Amino acid sequence: MKSIIQLVVNGESVEIAVEPNRTLLQLLREDLGLTGTKHGCGLGDCGACTVILDGSPVNACLVLAVQARGRQVLTIEGLAENGNLHPIQKAFVDKGAIQCGFCTPGMILSAKALLDTNPKPSETEIRTAISGNLCRCTGYQKIVEAVQEAAEVIQSTEVS
Amino acid sequence: MEKQFSVVGKRLPMVDAAAKVNGSAQFTDDLTFPGMLHGKLLRSPHPHAKILNIDVSKALRLPGVKGVVTGAEIPDRQYGIVPKARDEYALAKGKVRYIGDEVAAVCAIDPEIAEEAVDLIEVDYEVLPAVFNVQDSIKEGAPVIHEGVANNTSFAIRKEFGDVEKAFAESALVSEDSFYSQPVNHAPMEPHAAVAQYDPVRGQVVLWSSTQIPFFLRRNLSATLMIPESKVRVIKPKVGGGFGQKIDMFAKDFCAAWFAMKLGRPVKFVYERDEVFIVTRQRHPMHLTVKTGMAKDGRILAQQFLSYADGGAYNSTAPTMMALSCFFLMVPYHVPNLLYEGYHVYTNKPVGGAMRGHGIPQARFAVERQLDLMADRLNLDPADVRTKNSIKAGEPHPGGFVINTCGFAESVQLAAEAIGWKEKRGKLPFGRGVGMGGASFPSGVTNMSHISSGAVVQVGQDGGVNVLTGAADIGQGAETVIAQIVAEVLGVSLDDVRVTAADTGTTPLDPGTFGSGVTVRAGNAARIAAESVRKKLFECVADELEANPDDLVARDGVIFVTGSPEINITFPKALKAYQYKDLPMPLVGRASWMADTNEPTTLFTQPGNFSPNYSFMTQAAEVEVDTQTGKVKVLKMVTAHDCGRPINPMLVEGQLEGSIAGGMGQALYEDVITEKGQVMNPSFLDYGFPTTMEVPEMESIDIETDDPVGPFGAKEAGEGTQLSPAPAIVNAIYDAIGVNFNELPVTPEKILKALEEKKKQGV
Amino acid sequence: MTVFYRRLPKFDYVSPKTLSEAWELMQGTKGIDYQVFAGGTDVIPKLKRRQGQIPKCLIDIKGIQELDYIRYDANAGLAIGALASVYAVAHSCLVSEHHPALASAAGKIAAPQIQHRATVAGNICNAAPSADTAPALLVLDATVRCASVSGERSIPLKDFFTGPLQTALSDGEIVKEILVPRSSAGPSSCYFKLSPRRTLDLAVVGVAAFIRANNGKCDEIRIGLGSVGRTPLRAFSAESTLQNAKITEESIELAAKTAAEECWPRDSIRGSAAYRRAMVRVLVARAIKQCLSGKPLGTLC
Repeated sequence: MKSIIQLVVNGESVEIAVEPNRTLLQLLREDLGLTGTKHGCGLGDCGACTVILDGSPVNACLVLAVQARGRQVLTIEGLAENGNLHPIQKAFVDKGAIQCGFCTPGMILSAKALLDTNPKPSETEIRTAISGNLCRCTGYQKIVEAVQEAAEVIQSTEVS
Repeated sequence: MEKQFSVVGKRLPMVDAAAKVNGSAQFTDDLTFPGMLHGKLLRSPHPHAKILNIDVSKALRLPGVKGVVTGAEIPDRQYGIVPKARDEYALAKGKVRYIGDEVAAVCAIDPEIAEEAVDLIEVDYEVLPAVFNVQDSIKEGAPVIHEGVANNTSFAIRKEFGDVEKAFAESALVSEDSFYSQPVNHAPMEPHAAVAQYDPVRGQVVLWSSTQIPFFLRRNLSATLMIPESKVRVIKPKVGGGFGQKIDMFAKDFCAAWFAMKLGRPVKFVYERDEVFIVTRQRHPMHLTVKTGMAKDGRILAQQFLSYADGGAYNSTAPTMMALSCFFLMVPYHVPNLLYEGYHVYTNKPVGGAMRGHGIPQARFAVERQLDLMADRLNLDPADVRTKNSIKAGEPHPGGFVINTCGFAESVQLAAEAIGWKEKRGKLPFGRGVGMGGASFPSGVTNMSHISSGAVVQVGQDGGVNVLTGAADIGQGAETVIAQIVAEVLGVSLDDVRVTAADTGTTPLDPGTFGSGVTVRAGNAARIAAESVRKKLFECVADELEANPDDLVARDGVIFVTGSPEINITFPKALKAYQYKDLPMPLVGRASWMADTNEPTTLFTQPGNFSPNYSFMTQAAEVEVDTQTGKVKVLKMVTAHDCGRPINPMLVEGQLEGSIAGGMGQALYEDVITEKGQVMNPSFLDYGFPTTMEVPEMESIDIETDDPVGPFGAKEAGEGTQLSPAPAIVNAIYDAIGVNFNELPVTPEKILKALEEKKKQGV
Repeated sequence: MTVFYRRLPKFDYVSPKTLSEAWELMQGTKGIDYQVFAGGTDVIPKLKRRQGQIPKCLIDIKGIQELDYIRYDANAGLAIGALASVYAVAHSCLVSEHHPALASAAGKIAAPQIQHRATVAGNICNAAPSADTAPALLVLDATVRCASVSGERSIPLKDFFTGPLQTALSDGEIVKEILVPRSSAGPSSCYFKLSPRRTLDLAVVGVAAFIRANNGKCDEIRIGLGSVGRTPLRAFSAESTLQNAKITEESIELAAKTAAEECWPRDSIRGSAAYRRAMVRVLVARAIKQCLSGKPLGTLC
């Protein structure tokens, strides 16, 4: 039986009726049209569907939509502000951290969750933070470099 | 000195990078249409069985189901990427040949109902005896997988030049070794998807598909649906990686189009991850025996190969794969005498297809491994042996290849230096070692392919440039490279160029993304189209600049006279001038390009050039082996790489780095494990390709050669680099622990077993 | 395999806010009718793959906020509430300081996204032989406190696992917390995980050790093993070879060898029984030496 839930997605309040067996991933992609969050495996093995739920990175395919009741969800669509790319997004573009782009949204949100709590991560901390995000194109090298650069940019803008 | 280029050779972000970081880039599964239905396929639970009866009545009665189709209802038209090797139906007709073979398709108002309906279809099978390996499959009396294919051998090739026997007799050392490469899944992050829509007025079906080859897909759809190509439009949205796996047409493409035509509503099919692992394609498992004769100084005098590829249930790209495997066994080395025999054999297992390197990674593993073995037997340095045997640009090639540029010998030296070869090889403590592997790859195919690319370049009144190309960007950056080429030719910035690509309804013909031919083939078409636009503009402004059009240069938004940059006109002013002369807008340039051929030739029996040009590379690895657990850590991987002049070095590096992860997977981690035809590890979790925690430090060294055929001197990048990481790693393992591995992947268990053996033998 | 499911099966969902509310919901039903879950990182993939019986109703206890805690008391020891996430435990300084094996094991589960959703109690209740926190909690002598309408009881973890994916929990029982007693030995425990990749994978072999030694003599030792039997195991025989013995290369090796002999690995795609057995030997020796070295392994806190 459907129940009506309220949640906040990318800062906007949403009210919607969902079946119990609907995942947060389906809610985002199919009900809200936020297709930036990707379905890579549906089993929590790849991180393509990573979103930030109340500050924590989670696999949206393993969260039931009803479990998001009353919570804050940040998806890739909510990261840019006033049309300006977030420094992590910008660094991914500039550093060539993107190839096919399918892992990119999840990768960026894992990086965001890291930098929000650990603004000066070591390379190992960066790799650990994105260790649940598979990428078959890049070999991860440029992704790690992009997160390093983003951390520096965020630091320097906060200082100045 | 005047700078040579402004856009080409620059580390520029991909033109669609912003869309990919903000979530707006649309992949096939991101598309929805009003009234869209959802499809699902019923697949065979048996590796080999006759279909006696299919009862779809229960499925049809399920509320929400809009249609069911079985193999009996679809046209009797087989498809396949290679015309002479067509052997597949979108839905099985009478017989299934592997676990996962498509039996029926359902279409419903939502995906849940489609899944439920598939579960309600009842199929009576008569289970047939099945074969699961090449050895059993080629035996007399083995179950026949495809009627009329003797010994289940669907394709055989033999290539010979020189006198192998004579050369062996003259060799100081002749070694014969056997190798095996495992099945590897491409595992692109985006699962395969298709959405179809039908226009009953025009009688046209439009298919959005996660494909690498829109135009071939159009041809296959047209043939199997029995409607003209002009009534099929294939559009490639963003594709989330392909690596060869999205070259073939799949049941989802056919069935989406079929239902859309029958029901008049849009229909979507998306494969789940386990389907990607089981029912798409994989790199062919291959058994190879290599016999090589060497002179005392390490020169290769002759090579003889016998290879058996396990093709699984269908052909897919079999003939092409075998040909590539054969032709790129012999480069980057000078092999004066060669005999190659290769067989493609059916089994009741998942289907082999093109995968990054396409038949060559298996072959290169064998050759590069044996080269180290033989260097050891002759007490020579493997790096020296590689340099010594390197083919050279301009040198006559016994197979008829035309090598314009070749940085291979240099790549061996540079890779060796960067990894510390002299200090480390044979000198590191037990458990640590270095190794290398070399390779060469074609930039697309010249002969036997009949493929060419077209391009249209339009410049509008505001100076905006629109490029139409059929090239299929699957994440490698084809659209960016093409945009860079056009921007460079016209002297405009990358921002001024828009690319419209890979839509058979609007863009010119292009064979698609395979064989690493896109940059050279589609890039050259775009270059020539842009040059023809530029020529019109130069002719228009030549008078004003009091110069010969041939002496003009376009760069950084300005057209100027060579050697006198102060005599110039800006690009917008030139365009204005063009319009004021009442010349028609938009400015349009058109071109198509294909590599020079010397057809008719079949390269199997005659010498001939394979590709417009060839990339070369050496990869060197340093590894550390935990001799108690058998785990291997790759510490560093160097790639020294000749891809001509890289159009975008940042994208080239990305290709190299990605290949390292892929090569590591092939060497150490990945294997599609089957038991009686059933894939046992069809998930990212169980298949386990490398994460960011496994990849090593990476160093890329660019060896720039200016190729005369490639656009701005470019050659392929990215597919060739997938060939040598695995042998480099396995050769490094040999250096680390003194054990030879001729089978992939080299798992911790195999390492421990080998170390124990070694201990027993007291070596 | 004929259907490759992309969607979850149908089920009902309830989300009690208190334990008593949860018990009320479970009243009059049988265990097969409902499935209690917290993080969902084991339950949802299983449902998606249609593994086992599909429950009629999922009872999501993540809303019972009173169960979300990590507490340390100098006398009672460490208490991990049923809803404490794997990530919180892995990154807790309290846990790292007192029981490094547990922090380390939690940090080796899957990847951050899973760790944020999953709970340590859930890792234990799922009762997979490969559960990473199980060997660690076994060597830390943990107890599972569970409660039902009829009252509370404590089950020593060594008696908790009754078979693959089976526990000693009865119908209607919910785990409230996991208790790890205070230890006089200080932080001398560790967990080693062997898996092809350093992240995401299930353990091919997991080994935890705890040791208290004095003047080169072993006063107390526990060894926990994962992925080498029907359940996570204690290597009792191995422990007894070292108990009260002098610690030498030889005695460590004997314990390691004994542990390898007493476990029950099986062949699977992740590794052969023989390999797993051999790795138990290697990792047990390494784990004991690590504990004795007194050198801390890196912590995440």
